[in-house]
Amino acid sequence: MAEPKTAPRVPVEERLFSLVLALLATESGLTKNEILSTVQGYRQRYRSGGDNVNLERQFERDKDDIRDLGVPLETLEDPSQPGNNHAMRYRIPRGTYELPADIAFSSEETTLLNLAAMVWREGSLSGESRRALMKLRSLGVESDEPVVGYAPRLRSREAAFDPLSVALERHTVVRFRYLKPGESAARVRTLAPLALVQHQGRWHVHGIDQDVAEKRTFLLSRIVGSVQLTGQTFADEGGDHAARALAELDAIWANGVGVIEVAPGTDAAGRLGRRKGSAVTEGDRLTLHYSDMNLLADELAGYGPEVLVLSPPWLRDAVRTRLEQTAAAHGHPAATLADDAGRERDHG
Amino acid sequence: MVDRPAPLQAQDKLAFLLALVPYLMDHGRVSVAEAAAHFRVKPEALRRAVRLIAVSGVPGETSSYQHGDLFDIAWDDFEDNDQIVLTHMVAIDDSPRFSAREAAALIAGLQYLSALPENIDRDAIGALMAKLARGSSASPTQVAVSGSESDETLGRVREAVAAGRRVEFDYRTSRGDTERRRVDPLRIESIDQDWYVRGWDAGRGAVRTFRLDRMSDLAVTDEAIVRHPGDIALPDALFEPSDEDLTVTIEVAEAALPLLGDYLTEDTPTRPSPSRAGWVLTSLRVAHYHGLKRLAAGMPGVLTVLEPQAARDAVADWAAAGAARYRTL
Repeated sequence: MAEPKTAPRVPVEERLFSLVLALLATESGLTKNEILSTVQGYRQRYRSGGDNVNLERQFERDKDDIRDLGVPLETLEDPSQPGNNHAMRYRIPRGTYELPADIAFSSEETTLLNLAAMVWREGSLSGESRRALMKLRSLGVESDEPVVGYAPRLRSREAAFDPLSVALERHTVVRFRYLKPGESAARVRTLAPLALVQHQGRWHVHGIDQDVAEKRTFLLSRIVGSVQLTGQTFADEGGDHAARALAELDAIWANGVGVIEVAPGTDAAGRLGRRKGSAVTEGDRLTLHYSDMNLLADELAGYGPEVLVLSPPWLRDAVRTRLEQTAAAHGHPAATLADDAGRERDHG
Repeated sequence: MVDRPAPLQAQDKLAFLLALVPYLMDHGRVSVAEAAAHFRVKPEALRRAVRLIAVSGVPGETSSYQHGDLFDIAWDDFEDNDQIVLTHMVAIDDSPRFSAREAAALIAGLQYLSALPENIDRDAIGALMAKLARGSSASPTQVAVSGSESDETLGRVREAVAAGRRVEFDYRTSRGDTERRRVDPLRIESIDQDWYVRGWDAGRGAVRTFRLDRMSDLAVTDEAIVRHPGDIALPDALFEPSDEDLTVTIEVAEAALPLLGDYLTEDTPTRPSPSRAGWVLTSLRVAHYHGLKRLAAGMPGVLTVLEPQAARDAVADWAAAGAARYRTL
C-alpha cells in the first residue's frame, strides 16, 4: 500500500481501537515492529528502516491506556531470545478479554449497578464507574429506571484518592507526607498500599508501612501534598485487606468510649447525639465512640462551651489544653494567665 | 437519573467502541435513536462511532486491511434509514471484562447502597458483587465502604420526596438560632457520611441546602410541592459563596491546609508566613464568625485567625468559654 507523503491524521480512538482489534485477532502475538508497521494509526507514521522512537513511545503510552481499561494486553518473550525487546510479542488473549459467557445481569441487577455507579458520579472513581456502565450497556439489558428522590454520592475530597487507587491496582509502593492527628508537623511515610476503606465517613488507606514493616492505616485527609508513586512494586500476599482493615477500625472504634456533657439544643447536641453508637446515658450526658482520640479531641474542642468532657481523663485534658491553646493563640487574656497546661500538651 | 452526555476522552471513546460492537452484533438491526438512547449518547456520537467501526478491522494476512479484514455495515440502511446492521464482523465476539478499578468502583458503590435505608436486597447485592469480581480482568482493587447510619428523619424525608409532599422542620443554623422552615424537598444527597436535603425553601423563595443533622421535629405535610425536581437546576456545589461573605486572614501550618477542605479552593492564594517557618498566610470566606470560631477551635495548634480583630475575638471568646467549663469543676 503506497504511503501518501502527508499521512492523514488518524484519531486517537481509531488507533487504539485498531490496536485492540489487531491484538485480539492474533494467536501468536505481534512484534512491536509488526504493530508499528501495519496497524492503522501507526503505519501511517512508520518509517521503514528509519527512526521510530516517537512512534515507539506512542505505543508505550497506548499500551498503558488500553490496560487501564482492563484490557489484558500480554507480552510474550521469545524463548530463544530472552530479554530482546524487539523479539517480544504482544497479544490480547480472548479468554481473559471477554466477559465470561455465564455472566449476565438481570434488569434489576442492572438497575442496582446504575445506582451504584451514580454513587460515584462526582467522586474520584467517576470515570471508572462511567466506563463500567458503558461495558454493562454492551450486554443490552435495559434497567428499570428507579424513581429515587435521593442521590447518594461518595466523594473523596482528598486528592490522594486517585493516585492511591492507581497504586493499589499496580501494586506500587507510594510515598507521602503525613500529618498524624495531634501533631503539627508532617512526616514522610512509605507505604505498600493494600486497601482503601471508608470508615465513619473518613477515607483511610491501609497498607504495609515500609519503615516499620508493619500494617498501618492512614487517614487520607491527613496526607499533605501529593502522593508519589515510587518505581518499586510489591507482591500482595492476598487476602481481603479491605474487610480486615474495616474490622480493625471497627474494633478500635468499639473500644474507644468517651463520656461528655452536651448543652441541650446546641449544634453539639444535635450532631454528636445522632452519631452512630452515641447514647444518652442520663440528662445531658452522652456516651460516644471514637477511633482516634486526637481527632475526637480536635472535634470536641471545636464545639467550645457546648461540650464538657467527663471521661476518660486523657480526653478531658486534651480538649481543655486545646481550648486554652486556641484562646491564648487568639490573644484571650484569661487564657494566657491560666496557661499552666504545658505538661499536658505533650499528650496532644 | 438524567445523564448529561459529557465530552468523552479517547479512552472513554475506545471503551464505547468496544462496548458498542457486541451490542450491535446481538441486536442484528437497531435504529440509531434506540442505540443512542441505550448508551446515553447523542445520536450523532453514535453515528460517528458506527462509521468508525465500519472502516476498522485487522491488518489481516496481507497486512493491508483488505475488504474482508474490516467490519462492514449495511450502508444504505444506515445512510437512508438511520438503521444499523453489522454485515461483517472481525476480532470481537463478546463484551469486554471490567477493569479492576471499574469493578472496585461498582462494588464500593454497592456497599454504600446496601447500608442505605432503602429496601435493597442484601443477598442480591452480595451475589452481584461476586459476579463483578468474576467479570473483571484482574481481582478488583480493594475499596470498601462501611455502613452509614440510617436515621428516622432521613426515612421520612425520603418518603416526602417520593410522595411529592412539602415538609416542615425546625432548623438550627450554625449561628445557633432555630427556625421553622417549610421546604419542598427536591433531592436528598449524601456526601460520604453526611446527609443533606436540597429543596425549595418556601419562606425564603429560594433553593436551600439543609444538613440532616441540624433538622428536628420534621413533619410531612399534606401539601403537594409547588416546585418540582425537573423545574429547578440544582447546582453541583451544595453551598455557593455569597457577596455578603466576610473575608478573614488566617495563619495555618502548611501541613494542615488540606484540613480546611471546602473552605479553600484550589486557587486560593497562600504565601509563606513571615514569622513562622512551615506556616502560610491565606484568607477564607465565611458567612459569619459562628462557623469560623468552630473551625478554628477544631484546629488547635495549626490555625490562627489574624484579622479582622472581631474574628480573632470571636475565636478567643469561644475557646475561652469552653476552657472555662473545666475550671469551674
